[in-house]
Amino acid sequence: MGNTLQWRTIGESVRGASHIRVGMPNQDAIRWWPESGLGPPLVLAVSDGHGSAKSFRSDIGSQLAVEKTVWVIIQDLLEGQPDPSNLSAIKRTAEERLPQELVWRWQEAVKAHLDEHPFSDEELKSLEESKGAQGRLAVERNPYLAYGATILSVLVTETFILYIQLGDGDILTVSEDGKVSRPLERDARLIANETTSLCMKEAWHDIQLRFQTLYGIPPALILLSTDGYANSFVNETAFRKVGSDILNVLKTDGLQTVKDNLPAWLNEASEAGSGDDITLGLVFQTQIPGTEKSSPHQEEESTPEDERVEDSEEISADEQPAEAPEQEPQPAESEPTPGTPPPLSLRNLQHKETGAPEPMKTWEESSS
Amino acid sequence: MSKRPGGQLATRPLHFIWIADCSGSMQTDGKIQALNMAIREAIPHMQKVASENPNAQVLVRAVKFSTGAQWHISQPTAVEDFKWVDLQADGVTDMGQALSLVAEQLKIPPMTDRALPPVLVLISDGQPTDSYERGLTEMLDQPWGKKAVRIAIAIGEDADHDVLQKFIAHPEIKPLQANNPESLVKYIKWVSTAVLKSASSPASQAAADTPIANVPVPTVPTAADDDNDITANDVW
Repeated sequence: MGNTLQWRTIGESVRGASHIRVGMPNQDAIRWWPESGLGPPLVLAVSDGHGSAKSFRSDIGSQLAVEKTVWVIIQDLLEGQPDPSNLSAIKRTAEERLPQELVWRWQEAVKAHLDEHPFSDEELKSLEESKGAQGRLAVERNPYLAYGATILSVLVTETFILYIQLGDGDILTVSEDGKVSRPLERDARLIANETTSLCMKEAWHDIQLRFQTLYGIPPALILLSTDGYANSFVNETAFRKVGSDILNVLKTDGLQTVKDNLPAWLNEASEAGSGDDITLGLVFQTQIPGTEKSSPHQEEESTPEDERVEDSEEISADEQPAEAPEQEPQPAESEPTPGTPPPLSLRNLQHKETGAPEPMKTWEESSS
Repeated sequence: MSKRPGGQLATRPLHFIWIADCSGSMQTDGKIQALNMAIREAIPHMQKVASENPNAQVLVRAVKFSTGAQWHISQPTAVEDFKWVDLQADGVTDMGQALSLVAEQLKIPPMTDRALPPVLVLISDGQPTDSYERGLTEMLDQPWGKKAVRIAIAIGEDADHDVLQKFIAHPEIKPLQANNPESLVKYIKWVSTAVLKSASSPASQAAADTPIANVPVPTVPTAADDDNDITANDVW
């Protein structure tokens, strides 16, 4: 592959209007790597901690979620890969190992936090007053519930993009010409404020992933947002317009304008919309006119071939493009050799004797 | 400030639906008049609760059932503009048809997936005369039917608690027994305020956390004249 696309990430998280009214903290979290926000490689994660009384430490849970997700992605998909050009192996690791790894690492972090900060009498009393004895019992049986949170993440490398989602929230991609798409299907079960969550048993089964190799037209902009944002718009069309509008602002007014206005935009949406916490993370090509203005990256001329990635809506990660231009570089994706395990991360090394994914530990098992 | 990205902002809709029994038996002992009065009196309280949560748009309507069923107030009406129109009682108890009408309105569309859980309040003094199971199944088959907060009020001793319990479909929530106008007023006010408040500001939660009810139902007001304690005040 020739010249590499340069990417940048920024983001913002605001406390919801309704949270301000009732004195609740912002239970969302956002984190990216590297800290400069410049890549590739680049990882962005956002998380929404549940507001339920049973999830009374979800602001910590969401912080742990973004922290551990970024860490696991770096460890397993970037540093843990002996051959970064072997996309097939990376894809296999992402699909077969990453979901469990994300959940497990989050649980470990939760357990470590709880070991240092056991539930206080005040917390449990407050829970019992709100949810009754059964509510307290539920948290005592499954302490992860107190930290319950969602996770949305994207990894952008020189050769592929990986989208990850567990629970509600939205990932949008915007093409150079402003077309907005969803790389992952919406989960129709997630209505009425119910969501799949890191705190659920075998949560990895509900994690959605999308692996895109870089041989189609790449998105110019990727948006990750907690559900408070989409719920603030009158309908899906109004929400999707966020994607094309932000791309336009980036092009016409530049990155600094977006950075300066992002908190006000999100606050306005929460106040006039859902009232919920809102977190929005943006990942965009620095080649977009306007974004170079505040980017320290030296931009390089890139050829159209370099900018080809798989179309997010029409081609799945497993499919070859139907009409790939002849001059396009072919994906470095080779079929995995049967029986050959994917590269093992540090974490996975613990299971290499059996070759089987580590089973989900119960709270009691992981405490022992 | 640069123009805000995205289309029109909107608070989240919360549909509140009265499902009222208008069968002939509701004429006896002033039941229908008591129901009309109770709902009418509850409206200002409902409006006050709704005003305390500016991020929820409470939309109210009503369906009635007797011989057949029809929308009594068909348009989802903003609670601040809502005016109660008195019900008249006559005919049989085609509850199932009413639930079918509600089921149609709980589909997506016309419902949106960004809505808050709807509140459905079923009020009845008797036993269904039609195949209520069909309407109930249609309603509970809808995603928003399952997620709705379903409250049932039994008026008088002839109300069929088994049917009302199936409507609620939650083991921990029981039908409310109103044996006189005072208790009916109390329950109607409770559902119009405490339940509405709970439904209009639900917190996100893990799906497995609450397999049945996704909105905590507040403590039901106690009434010395409800349950099985028959008192001199009981007229129904």
